[in-house]
Amino acid sequence: MNLNYEKSSIELPDAWRAKSPILLSAGLVCLFIGMGCAFLGSANGEDKSQGFRYLTHSYLANFTFVFSFTIAALFFILVQFLTRAGWSTSIRRLAEILMMMIPYLALLFLPILIPLYWGSSSLYEWNAKDITNSVVASKATFYLSKEFFTLRSVVYFAFWILAATWFFRLSRAQDESGDTELSLVRQKWSGPLIMVFSLVTSFAAFDWLMSIDADWYSTIFGVYLFSGSMMGFFAMMIIISMLLQKAGKVQKLVTVEHFHDMGKFLFGFVMFWSYIAFSQLVLIWYANIPEETIWYQVRLDNGWAVFSYSLIPIHFAIPFLFLMSRHVRRNRIALTVGASWVLFAHWYDMTFLVMPNAGPLEVMPLFGHFLGGVGMLCIFGAMFIQRASGVPLVAMRDPRLPEAMSYTNPIL
Amino acid sequence: MATIASTFNPREIDNTDDIPGRRAPLITGNQTYGSVTDIVCRVAEEPQPMLWYILFGFSSLTAITFLGLIGFLILTGVGIWGNMNPVFWAWPIVNFVFWVGIGHAGTLISAILFLFRQNWRTSINRAAEAMTIFAVICAGIYPGIHVGRAWLAFWLLPYPSLNLWMWPQFRSPLLWDVFAVGTYASVSLVFWYMGMIPDLATYRDRSKSPLRRMVYGVLCLGWTGSARHWLRYEKAYTLLAALAAPLVLSVHTVVSFDFAVSQVAGWHTTIFPPYFVAGAIFSGFAMVVTLLVPLRAIYKLENLITLRHLDNMNKIILATGSLVGLAYATEFFMAWYSQNQYEGFTFMNRAFGPYWWAYWTMVTCNVISPQLFWFKKLRTSTFWMVVISIFVNIGMWFERFVITVTSLSRDFLPSSWGYFRPTLFDGLMFFGSFGVFLSLFLLFCRFLPTIAMSEVKGILSATAHSAHGHDAGHGHDH
Amino acid sequence: MSEHKPRKSPEKKMPKAFGWMAEYQDENNLLVAARKVRDAGYTKTDAFTPFPVHGIDEALGIKPTVLPFIVLSAGLTGLATALLMQWWMNGVDYKYIISGKPFGITPASIPVAFELTVLFSAFTAFLGMIALNNLPKFSNPVFTNPRFDRATNDRFFLYVEAKDKYYNRESVKELLSGTHPDSLDEVIEDTTPSELPRPIILAALLLVVAGLIPAMIILNMRAGFSTSPRFHVFFDMDFQPKKKAQQPTTIFADSRIMRPQVKGTIGRGQLDEQEPFYLGYDPAKMTAIDNKNLSVFVSTQAAKLPDTSAQTPADGSPQTAPMTTPPAMAPGTPALNLPWTEKLPIDANEETMALGKLKFETYCAACHGYAGFGDGLVHKRADSLAQGYWLRPTSMHIDRVRNQPVGQIFHTITKGQGKMASYAASLNPKERWAVVLYVKALQKSRNADIDDVPVDLRSKLDEVKK
Repeated sequence: MNLNYEKSSIELPDAWRAKSPILLSAGLVCLFIGMGCAFLGSANGEDKSQGFRYLTHSYLANFTFVFSFTIAALFFILVQFLTRAGWSTSIRRLAEILMMMIPYLALLFLPILIPLYWGSSSLYEWNAKDITNSVVASKATFYLSKEFFTLRSVVYFAFWILAATWFFRLSRAQDESGDTELSLVRQKWSGPLIMVFSLVTSFAAFDWLMSIDADWYSTIFGVYLFSGSMMGFFAMMIIISMLLQKAGKVQKLVTVEHFHDMGKFLFGFVMFWSYIAFSQLVLIWYANIPEETIWYQVRLDNGWAVFSYSLIPIHFAIPFLFLMSRHVRRNRIALTVGASWVLFAHWYDMTFLVMPNAGPLEVMPLFGHFLGGVGMLCIFGAMFIQRASGVPLVAMRDPRLPEAMSYTNPIL
Repeated sequence: MATIASTFNPREIDNTDDIPGRRAPLITGNQTYGSVTDIVCRVAEEPQPMLWYILFGFSSLTAITFLGLIGFLILTGVGIWGNMNPVFWAWPIVNFVFWVGIGHAGTLISAILFLFRQNWRTSINRAAEAMTIFAVICAGIYPGIHVGRAWLAFWLLPYPSLNLWMWPQFRSPLLWDVFAVGTYASVSLVFWYMGMIPDLATYRDRSKSPLRRMVYGVLCLGWTGSARHWLRYEKAYTLLAALAAPLVLSVHTVVSFDFAVSQVAGWHTTIFPPYFVAGAIFSGFAMVVTLLVPLRAIYKLENLITLRHLDNMNKIILATGSLVGLAYATEFFMAWYSQNQYEGFTFMNRAFGPYWWAYWTMVTCNVISPQLFWFKKLRTSTFWMVVISIFVNIGMWFERFVITVTSLSRDFLPSSWGYFRPTLFDGLMFFGSFGVFLSLFLLFCRFLPTIAMSEVKGILSATAHSAHGHDAGHGHDH
Repeated sequence: MSEHKPRKSPEKKMPKAFGWMAEYQDENNLLVAARKVRDAGYTKTDAFTPFPVHGIDEALGIKPTVLPFIVLSAGLTGLATALLMQWWMNGVDYKYIISGKPFGITPASIPVAFELTVLFSAFTAFLGMIALNNLPKFSNPVFTNPRFDRATNDRFFLYVEAKDKYYNRESVKELLSGTHPDSLDEVIEDTTPSELPRPIILAALLLVVAGLIPAMIILNMRAGFSTSPRFHVFFDMDFQPKKKAQQPTTIFADSRIMRPQVKGTIGRGQLDEQEPFYLGYDPAKMTAIDNKNLSVFVSTQAAKLPDTSAQTPADGSPQTAPMTTPPAMAPGTPALNLPWTEKLPIDANEETMALGKLKFETYCAACHGYAGFGDGLVHKRADSLAQGYWLRPTSMHIDRVRNQPVGQIFHTITKGQGKMASYAASLNPKERWAVVLYVKALQKSRNADIDDVPVDLRSKLDEVKK
């Protein structure tokens, strides 16, 4: 099959490369101002420890927000090879670029890790010197100690980075040689890698997010984070594809069928997230055990009730009703609007997971947190541009590319 | 290419390999639309092999015994079972969850694989959906009979009663079960039937006897194959698939809620919903493999249900088995992390307490045996895949047993602990349900289309006229 | 056969033609032909294929179906039905108290709501599709031609109906011939007899009659009478080998199946009831008294009161503070020697007084009379009946009763005395204390002098007298 394309159509827009430093600076500025607002906003900065709590929690939530796209991208790549998928070949490189941002995000993880060594317990209560809670104290002696925590985080990042880099290298090598053997290697190893990935990612969720309330636990927590991350990932893919096409790139290679499929996945993961979130809620609500309900109680007290209840329309009802229609999914603009909403909903969910543990809902810290989120997203964008420079945006010599160009969605 | 499979059976063609960029044929043997019709219709049109009669005789006897035992149970009471204090839930509920779980594969194949555009589902979805219906029937028997006063089971429904002056208790997961399993049975039945309408029309049009023609004609509602009808049919099929997909997840989720909403250690854990669903798909696919391998051999369907189909199913068994293993690992970790003495004890008790034999059977069958499917040789050997899938189902039965019985026999107060022993009736009534299942499945093979002919022809067509013109007549995975 | 219904002789009537049917071996030829037919302007067309051919809808100009919207509304109906049903049935009509969870819609309502949404949607999708397709339709002229049997096998058909407004028999035939079909036939109606075969009618009749039999049996049973006893399917369920309350038994020496409270145990809630507020006396002050005295109600004992100051308790525990001297009692009255509460444990204000008055007039006045003289309606009636065993209810205004401490009056209401039953079930402790307050007020009202009346209220007395 002859795919007529211009080489420039699979290159990153020059305008983007030019704007990248601006984006980065704007991002850093927003982030710092946001963190500052979060810190100062609490009782006009008089309660420093409360301010630190807002600051650190906000940073963790915003970090997780952007980080989730990258590991979801890695999972997506592994699954596409595991299932020998053909439809995704023309959008796969975008996901590969996303997963290659994990090393950059490892840098962004440092502000979470380093304060532990100053003895900070603003974010992780188990790092405090005197722990009154006996459950937390017994865990903090070994498992939730800063050394073991660091070691585990290093292991997680090592795995993700090695897996992502390996698959990316093979993908880029195939750009040069077109060797089908490279696809077979990735198919073969995707299975074992996914097994390790699920363990690593579950434990990362337990360590980084669940332990901020160190005596609470939920076995479904890893799945919860996974579902939200996949949803956010598809939203991000739709937005990136749309932005690229608006800038005149990949217009023939990414068709309305791809948008439709990404829209279907987006819809599916909105529903999957809702299912997981509801499952966790109904079980904890029903059994009414104080050890478990405390997590939800924190999210309903101190002004957080309206925020938490709003998660239902924002994260479930509105995206569900909007993305249900086939016509919306096949209309790129409508779909991008929906994806942007879902992106916001994912940020909202990360906020819901982390911020109520910091303290009461106050306007300034929440505004600062939002600003920080915008900043983090801008930094993420700048990182994406940096990573995508010089990389063809589509795996042109992947043997399955013709298949990606020729399928249709007849009914659904 | 010679493989273990093809040395056993000269009709086996190995289409499991995949060269990227060139899809392996899904239908082997250079089939045409006409030959597909012949292969499938011949199952019901030709006299049944002797094996059918032997199996049906055996299974119907077992089924009748089961019905007799149910009568005995109703007349005597649930005391004939081993359920006792504190293990009030034992074999009947384990059997219920076992069968409901098995039923999930059919709907997954029909609905979820359809949504993912997996063309290979077309050869197996009809038999799998039939399996679902029969598994749900077997499952539904148990809640009906284990309520104690089975003749009052209709009290579970929200009908206005001048007698009771009250309504069902909607906050109980046992009532959610009534709605979930009821909806699941109805929707699966509708989906299965709707899928069969065009194929029943084929049976009608090939019928030699007027009685046959009339019966199939009535059943297919006068289907003509009109394009206008196909349009609405496909839309309805797609909508049903989109509805059935979350339904599948919800049914076993609601079943898991039976356990998880309680406060019993080992039951109350938030991962139960997705863990049960993964386990259900795991055991369901294993049962599909167990059924389809003999089916295709006896009725010579190997060109339609190819090694690739079986290979794909075994990969799904591997994947869902690994998910179940992941859930075990997470639960184990949390049993420690929670620092909850009851949780910690429960898991120690499962592995080293009085039911250690059940636990280790479960681990061997559920975690280790599906991992054997990493090896292509085992994945494509019809003998080994049946062996492994049977072990998987044994393991899944034991999993439900371990969850139910160990947590109940030793929960919070040691003074309330007790050891459960099953009775003869527990075992007989479980065995009997297999009689019901197999009888219904054999009748299905005898009278109804076992493969979705119209769908198989659809994929034959789609790829015969695709860009790869030279791959005509094979049907491809897209 | 001699009995023949007169039939229309088929050869006299020309079978009606419904249109032209072209047959193709390949779906591509069908698509090409379909486009030609569409472009020629025909709309009453159809294709018949063994599987849905992609592109045929567009090739024939078939419009999309409205089914999804019908299904969506059905789904929303299902959702609304489920939520309304659960809210009303469990939260309004017959409120279930389950673990203290709120009434109405809670997270527990979601599973059933989801299931009903799916159920309604799924059935509507299927039934809607059947209905929109005008199925079941067993009789169809397209079935007349046996070649059409292959429409569900491996052939593809194109149909132009005579109903089409541009239909012309010859031009349609020519158009279709130009698409090189494998065969081209007119669709004619089936002229074979269309009556139902006899066996089917008989079988249907039999089934209907058989179906009526259970209904007849039931109606007969409902309308009729029987002298035989009811049949017990589950005999051992209806007559269970267990004892019910008040039944005798041989298991225990005292023949009672109901067992008293085990010595030394305290039942749930009983711990509270060791408080003076619930008893009318302070049990803590009772260590000086022999416990036996508590439960024995001496009705005809001697007037001599036991000397408590020198008594040692039966269980040998040291004497604590000596109890207060019990008030003097009239000789012959039963003596109950308990450390009564002297001070009213509730606030004596207008509210409690009003409560006491209400309760007294509800429960006490029937026997004791509104003023407490023992001349209530019950007494008047029993007295008039003169059956010989009626005792006049005690008057509150005799010295003996007037001198009783508040705790003793409370105790009387709680435990009962003589013919008077216990009113503990009807009045909670607070209400009983309120009644005690009112009784004391009544007593005071018949035993006061002018000095007891506050100065500023004395003028009111003059009004009453008038």
